[in-house]
Amino acid sequence: MNDDDLITLVREQRGSVEMTTPVDQIIGRGRVLRARRRVPGLAAGALAVAAAAALAVTALLPGSHPAGRPLPAQLTAWTVTRQADGTITVTVRQLRDPAGLQRTLRADGVPASVTFFGHEPRACQRYPKVSAILMAEVFGGHGPPLVIHPKALPHGAGVQLSPGHYPHGAPIALAAELVQASRGCTGT
Amino acid sequence: MGTNRPDFAEFYRRSKDECLFTVLLSVGDRDTAQELLAEAFARAWASWRTVSRHPAPAAWVVRTALNAHVSRWRRHRREVPLADPGAIADRPTAGEAFDSPVDPRIMAALLRLPERQRQVVALRLFLDLDTARTAAALGIAPGTVQAHLGRAIAALRADLMPERQKETPS
Repeated sequence: MNDDDLITLVREQRGSVEMTTPVDQIIGRGRVLRARRRVPGLAAGALAVAAAAALAVTALLPGSHPAGRPLPAQLTAWTVTRQADGTITVTVRQLRDPAGLQRTLRADGVPASVTFFGHEPRACQRYPKVSAILMAEVFGGHGPPLVIHPKALPHGAGVQLSPGHYPHGAPIALAAELVQASRGCTGT
Repeated sequence: MGTNRPDFAEFYRRSKDECLFTVLLSVGDRDTAQELLAEAFARAWASWRTVSRHPAPAAWVVRTALNAHVSRWRRHRREVPLADPGAIADRPTAGEAFDSPVDPRIMAALLRLPERQRQVVALRLFLDLDTARTAAALGIAPGTVQAHLGRAIAALRADLMPERQKETPS
């Protein structure tokens, strides 16, 4: 296989996904955006305030937590450690064995969904009341490792872990989000 | 206003799947990629007079989608780097591969590329932009585009070829 064959092989992948949103739906949304532009400043101002609030909150919070007596569940690809104060520390070295990580987190009392490849479960819906403050309460600092505070999870919320990237210059990263807890998504 | 609709509809039909794959490559989740891209296409429609004159409208859409992803990431996601960023994943299990919309081995190899190389691969190979337009879209020199593409292909070859060669009887 030469370079051209390799490029062809990689290019073939783009045919494996299809954007299914109808063009009329796109145009309908475009009309809303165009109309909103006639009221300048409203949407942009709201976004700027939200971003500034997020930065302010995360800057004020501590980036680490007091270590208790860890009860490590040690595996090669990732480590989950429960601290004495109830916080859960997740260190991921490789995106392997998502089912095992999901089981471990659930056993430690975190309603969790973990997906490293493919689709996230259809049952998973974003937690609607997410805010920068809530994110900081549940996940604390910016790690690594990822720290989860199960006691800060609101009733009906769970954690979803998936692959992510930093936007620029980016090491491969693990992304954590809040989702609505449900049997099909987080197990409870 | 209505006169631009046929142009836009044709542009959407022609470029939507390539754009989706390109965004998927950066985002890693199909539903999220589709949501981001739908919003980016809507913005393109709202500014179609300008966007249609862009040298690479598809690149404009992809960039808009990825910028939106960054904004969302800042507000709703917490990301921490992997302890070993060079080793994103081994070969996925059969079950994981079955769920994936793309070949997970190739996807993992693409995701292992450094960000800039992945961007160049996305624009050159998936959006079919030439070197000059890729360079303009990324704000880098054409020679740098060539260098990144060469390194990316070498990395993909090293990642994918040994196993492929084993599968092919000589």
